Amino acid sequence: MEGINRRDFLRAGAVASTAATAACTYDYKVPAEKVLPYVANPENVQPGLASYYAGLCNGCATACGLVARNKDGRVVHVEGNPDHPSGPGLCARGHFDFVAAYGPDRIDGPMLGNDKLTWDDATSKLVEAWNSAVAAGKGVAWLGQYRTGSVAALLGALAGAGLRRVHFEPVGVESLLAASRRAFGLDELPVYELAEARTIVSFGMDFLGTAFGSMAMTKGWARAKDPAQGKFVARTVAITPRVGQSESQADHWIAARPGSEAKVALAIAKLASDAKGYQGPAAGLLAGIDVAAAASASDVSEDKLREIAGWLAGAEPSVVLPGGNANAGADATALAVATLLCNEVLGNLGRTVVFRGSRPGQVNSYADAKALLDDCKAGKIGLLLVDGLDPAHGLPADADAAGALAAVDRVVQFANSGNDSTNDKTLILPSGSGLEQWSDASTEHGLHVLGQPAMVSLKDSRGLGEVLLGLAKAVAPAAPTDPATAAPTDPATAAPTDAATDPATVVAVPIHASATNFAEYIRLRWAAEVWPTVPGRPEAASWWREVQAKGVVHVPGGNVAAAWVATELPAAGEAPSGGGKHTLVVYPSPLLHDGRWANVPWAQELPDPISTFFWGTWVEIHPDTAAELGLGEKDLVEVSTGQGSIKVGWFGSKGVRKDVVAVIAGNGKKTGLYAKGRGANAVSLLAGATDSASGALAWLSTQANLKRAGGDSGVHPLCGNLDQAGRHLANNVSVKDALDKLEGEAASIVAVHHVPIDERVVENGPVDMFPEPQHPTYRFAINFDLNACNGCGACVVACALENNTPFIGPDQMRRGRTMTWIRMDRFWEGEGENQDVRYLPAVCQQCSHAPCEGVCPVLATYHNLDGLNAMIYNRCVGTRYCANNCPYAARRFNYHTWEWPESYHLMLNPDISSREMGVMEKCTFCVQRLRYAKDSWRDVHETVPDSALQKITACAAACPSNAIVFGNWKDADGAVRKKGESPRSYTLLGELNTKPGVRYAARVSYHQPVFGGHGGGHGGGDHGEAPAEHGAGHSSPSKKAGHGTAEGVH
Amino acid sequence: MSSELSYSRVNRDVMRPLFDMGMHWYGLVGLVVLGLAWGGYCWGIQLVKGLGVAGYHPPVFWGVYITTFVFWIGIGHAGTLISAILFLTRSRWRTGIYRAAEAMTIFAVMTAALFPAIHVGRAWQAYWLFPYPNQRQLWQNFKSPLMWDVFAVSTYFTVSTVFFFIGLIPDIAAVRDTTKGITGKLYTAMALGWRGTDRQWRHYMAAYGFFAALATPLVLSVHSVVSWDFAMAVTPGWHSTLFPPYFVAGAIFSGCAMVITLMLPLAKAFKLEEYIHVWHFEHLAKLCLFTGGILTYAYGTEYFIAWYSDNPYEWDVFVDRVVGKYWWVFLTMVLCNCTIPLLWWFKKIRTSMMGLFVISIIINIGMWFERFNIIASSLAHSFDPGAWVYYTPTYIEWGIMIGSFAWFFLWFLLFVKIMPSVAIAEVKETLRPPLKHEEHAAK
Repeated sequence: MEGINRRDFLRAGAVASTAATAACTYDYKVPAEKVLPYVANPENVQPGLASYYAGLCNGCATACGLVARNKDGRVVHVEGNPDHPSGPGLCARGHFDFVAAYGPDRIDGPMLGNDKLTWDDATSKLVEAWNSAVAAGKGVAWLGQYRTGSVAALLGALAGAGLRRVHFEPVGVESLLAASRRAFGLDELPVYELAEARTIVSFGMDFLGTAFGSMAMTKGWARAKDPAQGKFVARTVAITPRVGQSESQADHWIAARPGSEAKVALAIAKLASDAKGYQGPAAGLLAGIDVAAAASASDVSEDKLREIAGWLAGAEPSVVLPGGNANAGADATALAVATLLCNEVLGNLGRTVVFRGSRPGQVNSYADAKALLDDCKAGKIGLLLVDGLDPAHGLPADADAAGALAAVDRVVQFANSGNDSTNDKTLILPSGSGLEQWSDASTEHGLHVLGQPAMVSLKDSRGLGEVLLGLAKAVAPAAPTDPATAAPTDPATAAPTDAATDPATVVAVPIHASATNFAEYIRLRWAAEVWPTVPGRPEAASWWREVQAKGVVHVPGGNVAAAWVATELPAAGEAPSGGGKHTLVVYPSPLLHDGRWANVPWAQELPDPISTFFWGTWVEIHPDTAAELGLGEKDLVEVSTGQGSIKVGWFGSKGVRKDVVAVIAGNGKKTGLYAKGRGANAVSLLAGATDSASGALAWLSTQANLKRAGGDSGVHPLCGNLDQAGRHLANNVSVKDALDKLEGEAASIVAVHHVPIDERVVENGPVDMFPEPQHPTYRFAINFDLNACNGCGACVVACALENNTPFIGPDQMRRGRTMTWIRMDRFWEGEGENQDVRYLPAVCQQCSHAPCEGVCPVLATYHNLDGLNAMIYNRCVGTRYCANNCPYAARRFNYHTWEWPESYHLMLNPDISSREMGVMEKCTFCVQRLRYAKDSWRDVHETVPDSALQKITACAAACPSNAIVFGNWKDADGAVRKKGESPRSYTLLGELNTKPGVRYAARVSYHQPVFGGHGGGHGGGDHGEAPAEHGAGHSSPSKKAGHGTAEGVH
Repeated sequence: MSSELSYSRVNRDVMRPLFDMGMHWYGLVGLVVLGLAWGGYCWGIQLVKGLGVAGYHPPVFWGVYITTFVFWIGIGHAGTLISAILFLTRSRWRTGIYRAAEAMTIFAVMTAALFPAIHVGRAWQAYWLFPYPNQRQLWQNFKSPLMWDVFAVSTYFTVSTVFFFIGLIPDIAAVRDTTKGITGKLYTAMALGWRGTDRQWRHYMAAYGFFAALATPLVLSVHSVVSWDFAMAVTPGWHSTLFPPYFVAGAIFSGCAMVITLMLPLAKAFKLEEYIHVWHFEHLAKLCLFTGGILTYAYGTEYFIAWYSDNPYEWDVFVDRVVGKYWWVFLTMVLCNCTIPLLWWFKKIRTSMMGLFVISIIINIGMWFERFNIIASSLAHSFDPGAWVYYTPTYIEWGIMIGSFAWFFLWFLLFVKIMPSVAIAEVKETLRPPLKHEEHAAK
């Protein structure tokens, strides 16, 4: 060994071994992080325990209450506030507001162009702009979404100083408000209380979706359909050119010619008044109505009109709902008035149609907004404050919002990031999330919701109210003219006043002079305006604490009697004509709304309830139209109007008329990490015509031509098949059966069997090869009531956010790799009037005899003592055998390490095991919540009571229609057991004898049976041999022998 | 056998490739190494990025990998069938082909064994599938057919390999006698001291018969167990008692076809036509006709039972295979497995080299698609119509499949270079024993 001595050898050896060690210890996991204790421990914060804050949902103008769960300083989940009249439950859009708080492109502090400003600079620039506009003799204007409460009060004060206020939303209510004014002389929206309605006729209002007040209407509708509650089942009729989410739940779809709805409504009013012998104040208006003309104008036969009128007249009470955005044409007000006339004639006022001061604050019309924009363009506006809206995206090209904004000296946007309306001169003031700021709202007499910060602001932002308060102090110095409205300084000493608080006409008390911050402003304003209305006048300080705890003050009552005053009806319009073969129906996305959630990836990824498409824009055309155009599955369709054209994918929907093309709005933005370049802007196709009676944008006024454009559209349904191929997964039962056999009776009325069963099995029950699993204390179970489920997707989103399931992007979604643990199956049965869209929330069924458990070679999934198919994520090697063997396709696989921006990490729920690439995951009934509840109740030596379980899972807590009930099956008095033993109850694929913990209650409908076995009770199904008594779907307490159905859930 | 053959010529002919391999061999090895590298590259991507790079479209959670796994397991059937069962039934025609067929079996099983690791989500944890005492106190689920697979395949592999090496002993000894140096030492070790004495032969034949008897049930068991991966599941289209015999027949069908595919060029390239005669291939073709008949019958039975059972899930899957999006897979399967092989009923075709070779490849293609048809189309059309999908593989999956063929052929090429691909001793048994003077003359 020449040339190598011992030292060299050791040196070389050391290098080699170090390198080898380094090479072998490559760690693919996250490197270790330091955990540091608090320097000063915050009061009342116990690491690992959540705090709950009542708050205000900013998802839409409805302003529901919510409860935010704060864990270790971050809000990790939101749920509906059960103390709010529209709670419990929170719709999908409400959840998106929460996600948006963690959006990756939120700006950190005020921005002017690309320059970051300090708040002092920004607010002084704001005041400067105000003063210089005033000095230049130009206007100062506000263009924003609907606002109530303290922000509206401050805007009132600013209006006194010369602010021109325009509150407009693309998905607006101006025509409905105009109709109330015309018909009843009331400047408020009718509240539709559906709970007692025997017949519901809708002219297109999206009452289960995007409509103002939809949460309460959803609950009412579900209640009206529940045979056990009111001993009746409401019949729902939808008269629309397109079946949307709300129409999909109707028993009858009347495809009236678009634009003829007002005539149809009048004809129905006439026929109903004839039937009921109506003699009221509107009687004079009915004389001139020509039913035959309406029938010929609308393609709806006179007999059908008579039938509908008969359903209405024969029901006490009923309700007729107005049109929605999608079918609001140039006669939107006429249609709304006609529906009010129907309700007047039918005697529904004060019963199902109630006036109690409902309105989302000041409401301006599209015409007002356009007039403001025109003034902007004419250089008459020196300062424009834009709140929440994205006018360049949400308004038709006709309004030229971008051009108008460019002509304003200074545009100030209250937004958390730039949007399509932002230009170089725009001053963006990030107003933060509703979860970080003080806010309040009041959309009805006696209903006040308080929004409190549930966490520290994630970015340098300042609440809208805070900025407006500062501005008001600067430009509208207090000059109390009336000593009675002088601001009280402390709620405890607040002088009670008896002044009625009408949120619609909130008087701006110059509290802003004395309040030092917006929180104090709210407190003072509530002390002055809300507290005096509370019965009993509680002690003020403790009352405020209670308000903060509950988040809602609801003083019911205050209904206004409505008397018909209209002496003439607005003219019903004609169907849109000229320019194209198809009438263009542009409808707001049930998820992205007017586009405000387009930058929320979970919103983009949630499948549309009708098409189950995602991440984009598409058109709905009738399959026959598609065939005429020779469209291939992946082809793009070019939709062109006089305003322009878009090329998008298509969905063949049996729920649109052949002469109609429906385009979903909300996408087609130019900005936003997730929204940019996604789909096309459907609103850009609209001509910008308005309803002359209200100034509302006429969404249904344009005609379009269709052309095959080839290419690859990239849109793809998540739901594999249009219908359920004759299988009995989402079942209907007839109204007669449902009412004849209410709860407590033995026999099931659902026929779910497909497979002929051996006679011995019929006699003795199925033979189990494996012993029954033991459930000593709990057998957790869930019940989905398909009669109340309308496929809205709130549960899907809530589950995703609770359980940290990621969004995966359009490419992965096209491969069907959705990670949401609930898959909302949409089955489209029936044709024409008998359109029957059924939703089936498919989750892990937590089977007692689970096919997945036996096949896992490494026991990564097993049955636990609580009845769950528990998952040991870290044990899984990813053979995916369990997923192949799951008849419900309920398992999800982590195909990749799903990645998302850092900012979303703060939103993650820390109570959940993380799942790495290559492992299986699925619903486990929110086991983390169950575990927490069990542990808490064990501390007091008790089992978790039913009341604490019913809404414990994220899905059950979110469901707006109370369709989901959770519980312990072993609790004989529990709600889930009661529901599970109802005659409408069945298990999915009962013949497989998997003995699921999930049960479904069949939908009760007036539909004609679509395929054999519908409406059940007589056994059969596609294969007549199947005995109705058999199987887990037919729980029968009288059949105990070895047949697990005695327990129903096992 | 041809009467011109002598013992020494057999030695010369069969061992020639071991010492005198042309450049073609190196070219072929280069080609398969390229294929292997491509497969390795694809697998590398999959390991880093996750299984998502494959085309999985839930609920189709198994696709090309499991298809190819079953394909190779199937290929692995013919070797042991030919060497063990035909030995026990004293079918003399096995002589010329059984050595290579056995090697094919072992390499096929080695190829198949790659796939469980390739297809799992966390390949780096695949060893958790093996039950061994560990500090994590974890144990496997012996209810799972995948565990049965682990045992069935590893048992089959062990027994086949032992059987293969036992069969090799006399031939290795023959090679040993002609080699020197390190190579010689290796052959010496593998020959286990074989001297060809009467006593050794007596023991050897007893052991060989014993292993043949041991291997025989495994031929039937391993593919039965593999079929249970599917038959034990509730998935419509899988859940069938027909599967074990159906899979075994299909495996023998594809295995025999693969033997033809491999041995025809082998015989040609190494000029072994005198040992591997068209007569052998004709027998294999007849065996294919027989098992192919069983297979066609099984296809028919599946449809009959699906209809007769009145189970709509089952029936829908089978209808969908014909008229659904996977119609082309079904058509390929029926054409390749049931229709085209019928041409072998014509003696002219089953004795023509081209007819044998082309149809054997067609059968291999058909049998791959049969497995794809079973796996993908069933999962894509399961109970819930809301989860009916269409799965299309990606280049990663094709790349790994190509890599698996390369892996197989690499071993096979090494085998023909290292070991006598025809059983020398058995061929000699069929020859007239040489008389002393003739032997002298032959030299």
